[in-house]
Amino acid sequence: MDAGLLVQMLIGALLGLSVYLPLYCGQLSLATPGFFAIGGTVAALLSTRVPAFAGTGATSPLPALLLEMALAGLLAGLLALAIGGTVLRLRGIYLAIATIALVEILRVFNLNLPFTGGALGIFGIPQPFDSTTGYAGFSLALLAVVCWLCARLEQLRLGRAMAAIRDDELAAASVGIDTARVKLTAFVLSALLAGLTGALAAHFLNSWNAKLGSFDASITTLAFVVFGGSRTWLGPVIGGLALTALPELLRPVGDLRLIVFGLVILLGPVLFPQGLITPQLLQRLGHGCSVVGQGFSGAGRRLRGRLSGVRRP
Amino acid sequence: MDADLIQLLLNGLSLGAVYALFALGYTLVFSVLGVINFAHGAVFTLGAYFTYLLIGGQVGANGLLSGLRLPFSLPFVLALPLAGLGSALVALLIERVAFRPLRQRGADSLLALISSLGAGVILVNLIQLLMGAESFAIPTGTLGALPVALSIGGARVRTVQVLLLAIAALLLVLLSVWLEGSRSGKALQAVSEDPVTAQLLGIDSDGMIRLAFGVSGFLAGVSGGLVGLSVSIAGPYFGISYGLKALGVLVLGGLGSVPGAVLGGLIIGLAEAFVPAEWSGWKDAVAYGFLFLILLLRPQGLLGRPLGTKV
Repeated sequence: MDAGLLVQMLIGALLGLSVYLPLYCGQLSLATPGFFAIGGTVAALLSTRVPAFAGTGATSPLPALLLEMALAGLLAGLLALAIGGTVLRLRGIYLAIATIALVEILRVFNLNLPFTGGALGIFGIPQPFDSTTGYAGFSLALLAVVCWLCARLEQLRLGRAMAAIRDDELAAASVGIDTARVKLTAFVLSALLAGLTGALAAHFLNSWNAKLGSFDASITTLAFVVFGGSRTWLGPVIGGLALTALPELLRPVGDLRLIVFGLVILLGPVLFPQGLITPQLLQRLGHGCSVVGQGFSGAGRRLRGRLSGVRRP
Repeated sequence: MDADLIQLLLNGLSLGAVYALFALGYTLVFSVLGVINFAHGAVFTLGAYFTYLLIGGQVGANGLLSGLRLPFSLPFVLALPLAGLGSALVALLIERVAFRPLRQRGADSLLALISSLGAGVILVNLIQLLMGAESFAIPTGTLGALPVALSIGGARVRTVQVLLLAIAALLLVLLSVWLEGSRSGKALQAVSEDPVTAQLLGIDSDGMIRLAFGVSGFLAGVSGGLVGLSVSIAGPYFGISYGLKALGVLVLGGLGSVPGAVLGGLIIGLAEAFVPAEWSGWKDAVAYGFLFLILLLRPQGLLGRPLGTKV
């Protein structure tokens, strides 16, 4: 397979996880592309305007990319923190519409601010990797880390509180869960993930413009999660990988490919109302998945062991 | 009154009337099903293309149907309602394919949002495949004997805009009269209040849902045709931006409220018309800015009912 397509798929999976985080606690936020756009714009600006990040000519140092991703995630997270308190008081379809509005407002800003390059955007973003394969390896590592964190999150107190809010917010509040705080945490984590993914995508795409964070993107990323399933972290990952690959794999059918893509989005919810990947499915697959799970938690134990200097068996 | 001011007011009112028609289509479906039909923007686009074809317009060069035109051409007054009916049929088809299967399974309403979007994607790309991606203008001679411009209070205004405003106002009045005064309108309200009870009282809930989709499709088709006439058909995607702004209208007025949709449409239309030309790039943010403000200050919208929490 083409490494470029693989990177796009991995970015799709990361964005799917960003939509999944608020949805895991029952909040339908479509703001992911807005934060993704912020991240991309931050990285594009830093690496083309600030000499310390730009490196020499067409290449830029890898630490600069990491720093840009951190800054982009931080900025997106701070914005989410600032608006989350008020926006998250809204429920259901109101929250969805408010977050669509947020994405569109950010898009208009991106189009009209004097330093973001207008409709054409920012070009010639330097490359931290020699080849697409480098991006693929880096994105794969990033996705693995994020998946591990999400899998851990589902086991943690925070993750269980999120699931409790999804199932019944009032009941969750009545057993002492600070629902506003948990929802805000999920929203900020989602923004952070979208922001740092945006910074990576800006380098990979080599140019950045306002179109990359639009309503279309809101829906596509939501489709990742609905298609894959929102009950476990694996769902949005599979959804993101599959639905990003689909239009490319459909290239042979030419002009029909977006129509077929539409058909998949139309029929997906009808045929798989829970999404492709459900906890029940994982249980049925039982053994195979528990091996994966142990692999993940084993890696975590080893990592913690190394961090604390103690090796456990 | 200042001629420029009249022009601006008329621009704002006609734009606002289109937003209101658009938002009412959302409202009808939302009030019976509690979901937003994201294919609505595509139906609006379709209405514009139907109108264009029915008045004898020719398909552009880069679609599959390139160069084709209907063997007849209708006057605009006939073409517009026919385009509305065609759009209504498509809306019914969307209900059948994207909404009904999910409703019958009692699935989460979020899913219908996605499947309706899939239907929208299919429609938009089908239009692009058949008709090409170029924009079309409905020729000025379409209105027959009517003059191109009128003079109102010293301002010269385009007849098209006055016509658009008049037709939209007429439709809005008809819709309110139907909803409040007729048996089927009241039945629709009953279903939106409580579908199960309405069913128990002998109202055909499924039939009412189909009716809501049909009327909503008709409104979308007609407003698409009107905008196509007054501005132009800017390609297969042009309904989407109207559709998104109409979401703002919807929330500003109050989800599910008919007078709210009209009020919200007029406020946003007027506000956009009064954005000065040098700031025109920011015009698109007006609707969303309003939307954000109203959600923070009064989440139920200007004329909506307070949002309660059910235990």
